[in-house]
Amino acid sequence: MTAVRLRPRSAIAVALVSLAGLVAFGWPLVVAPQAGLTQSGPASWLFVLMLPLLLLVALAEISEGGVDAKAIALLGVLGAIGAALRPLGTGVAGFEPMFFVLVHGGRVLGRGFGYLLGSVTMFASALLTAGVGPWLPFQLLGAAWVGFFAGCLPRAGGRAEIAMLSGYGAVAAFIYGSLQDLALWPFATGVSTSIAYEPGASVTANLGRFVAFDLATSLGFNVPRAVTTAVLVAITGRPVLLALRRAARRAAFEAPVDFRRP
Amino acid sequence: MIRFERVGFRYAEEAAPVLAGVDLEIDEGELCLVVGSTGSGKSTLLRAVNGLVPHFTGGILSGRVTVAGRDTRDHPPRELADVIGYVGQDPRAGFVTDLVEEELAYGMESLGLAAGVMRRRVEETLDLLGLEGVRDRPLATLSGGQAQRVAIGSVLAAHPRALVLDEPTSALDPVGAEDVLAILQRLVHDLGLTVLLAEHRLERVVHLADSVVLLPGGGRPVVYGPAGTIMATSPVAPPVVRLGRAAGWSPLPLSVRDARRAAAPLRARLAETPDAGTTRGAAASSPMAAVRGLEVRYGPVTALRGVDLTVSRGEVVALMGRNGAGKSSLLSTLVGLVRPAAGRAEVLGAVPHELRARAMVRHAGLVPQDPGDLLYAETVAAECRAADRDMAAPEGTCRALFGRLAPGVADAVHPRDLSEGQRLSLALAVILTGRPPLVLLDEPTRGLDYAAKARLVEILGELAGDGHAVVLATHDVELAAEVATRAVVVAEGEVVADGPVEEVLVSSPAFAPQVSKIFAPLPLLTVAQATAALRDPS
Repeated sequence: MTAVRLRPRSAIAVALVSLAGLVAFGWPLVVAPQAGLTQSGPASWLFVLMLPLLLLVALAEISEGGVDAKAIALLGVLGAIGAALRPLGTGVAGFEPMFFVLVHGGRVLGRGFGYLLGSVTMFASALLTAGVGPWLPFQLLGAAWVGFFAGCLPRAGGRAEIAMLSGYGAVAAFIYGSLQDLALWPFATGVSTSIAYEPGASVTANLGRFVAFDLATSLGFNVPRAVTTAVLVAITGRPVLLALRRAARRAAFEAPVDFRRP
Repeated sequence: MIRFERVGFRYAEEAAPVLAGVDLEIDEGELCLVVGSTGSGKSTLLRAVNGLVPHFTGGILSGRVTVAGRDTRDHPPRELADVIGYVGQDPRAGFVTDLVEEELAYGMESLGLAAGVMRRRVEETLDLLGLEGVRDRPLATLSGGQAQRVAIGSVLAAHPRALVLDEPTSALDPVGAEDVLAILQRLVHDLGLTVLLAEHRLERVVHLADSVVLLPGGGRPVVYGPAGTIMATSPVAPPVVRLGRAAGWSPLPLSVRDARRAAAPLRARLAETPDAGTTRGAAASSPMAAVRGLEVRYGPVTALRGVDLTVSRGEVVALMGRNGAGKSSLLSTLVGLVRPAAGRAEVLGAVPHELRARAMVRHAGLVPQDPGDLLYAETVAAECRAADRDMAAPEGTCRALFGRLAPGVADAVHPRDLSEGQRLSLALAVILTGRPPLVLLDEPTRGLDYAAKARLVEILGELAGDGHAVVLATHDVELAAEVATRAVVVAEGEVVADGPVEEVLVSSPAFAPQVSKIFAPLPLLTVAQATAALRDPS
């Protein structure tokens, strides 16, 4: 069931944005010592500015192609539910009740819809909670990927499906957390030099530093987030998947709209 | 204005066609009625007019549908919104805002009208549909009838050139329905609006229609023509028309006035015979449920005051009254959902609101106004199994009952995917599984066509014959005339009339069925009674 069809142009746009996002996330690790981008300051802020524009391009491309009134309505409802759930978790370490909506939505309604749902939910919830700041584009991209890859999972049914979604939810939530750390790691001040970003060091050295940084500072957030997501996906699995599938069937997303001569 | 050229529609390549070879042209300023039994494709036809079929539902449309010169192939529904206003079967499903005023203004806002124009039109629409009293209310607190009027108002405010309405009077009481239909007729005659409406309760509308589209179903071709011609041979027809056909009147009368003129000689003949009416009273038998001095309050609002009512075995009581008069409150009290503020209620010697649920289902069962409220399982089969378990009935009872009420429904269907009539049948089957002595029904005929109503009448008649007592709250005067033995009229929370159905229905202009209006002052209620009296020379 695909609520949002990814036409070739939209798929390319999504791919380009994701590639740019990967570069934005990972440049601290791989950029060669002599290149100008190692200077933190104006060059690194370039990514933060470019990323929202690229996201907009991707979203526009997708809406150009295959989003009709029904998909927008579903997007609105699920996005609102996710956005309303997020403030419930603020304050408690990493407890994010929002991701299970992305996992289920992406699974039932397809990759393109999952991508859109992630972006929309994260943006709407940012207005409610963490606020808008330089971290927002990275959060948007991370959540969009969570929804996107949920739609890429292989076919399964019954308990196997819920187990698979639960596992995916845990892994995706954990990687989301790590990616957010990676994005802001170079700008983190006040950490000891052994785990701080060292411009000019080799990839493996920086990677090692990053892993240490991640374990030291964020394990307390990433692991609870992963566990919460997995548990919520498992508990809500059957009823939510059933309701979404029924909604998708009633909305007839895949029914051909065809006009013929009499 | 609206043209269909050899239109056919099916949901998928391999599915059976829902519409085939529809050819019709509706002129500007015509009030056209779409008639057909449930499942014959009425809603599909209406939704094809504004492009929802196939843009929204998917499917394959062959042929051409043109509205005001615009072809629905090239114009999706949003581009037809300024010429066509569409109100669906469930008015609440179309609400998008929170308040009545906002809902009326929303369509105009989306079309980009100026603020001053919008304000003026909102006021006009509120006046036109009698909604000034509820203008600030949240939509969720409106009654069914008010919601229906708000839905009509929200499309009317944008001044479309054609209105398409799917069962616009189903939740309205007779007077409310007449108001809405009178408004529609005035719009047609004064403003040249084109109105296309589908309705099951033909007795309310057929005299207003200029033309009729008949969907016979079962693959037969769709027929379109002037109202009188089509009704002469239509399988679905209101009591006036059936009486006219049985008595052989020509031209066929469509309104009560025409029928009265044609019936004058018959009336004179019947008035001479000693007892021209038949009484359907049940012999006095043991009382089963009673309320004395009942008072029910919801916060500051008093829904019922000082109500006295007794229901006996074998009786079918029709509870009638305006929208909001207190009928649902009375039924809820009898089944223990509401605790009386004063007075007492009693069913088979027990007080309803003090009984536990398991004991309550052995005393009384209520089929609510929205039957879906009772259904919570995922498939019809699961629902029936749960009902058998809850009522401690032998396995398969509920499924058998449902199969009788609504034949041909597969086990794996989700209850919310059933049609209105099928959902009602399922809820009724669930309630009847426990064989409660007192059976209560709240507005059971919404969305039912004549055939389904006839089945319901049969079932209720059997229940009464078996010694159950049935109380049904209904606006449908024809149903009350067919099945009830007693009629109780409630207004403003008080009982204003209580007596045998012949007396109460015949004497009230608002609640009289068509046959009794035609033969007044003779106490005849149904076509069957009238034809029997005419045949019997004694």
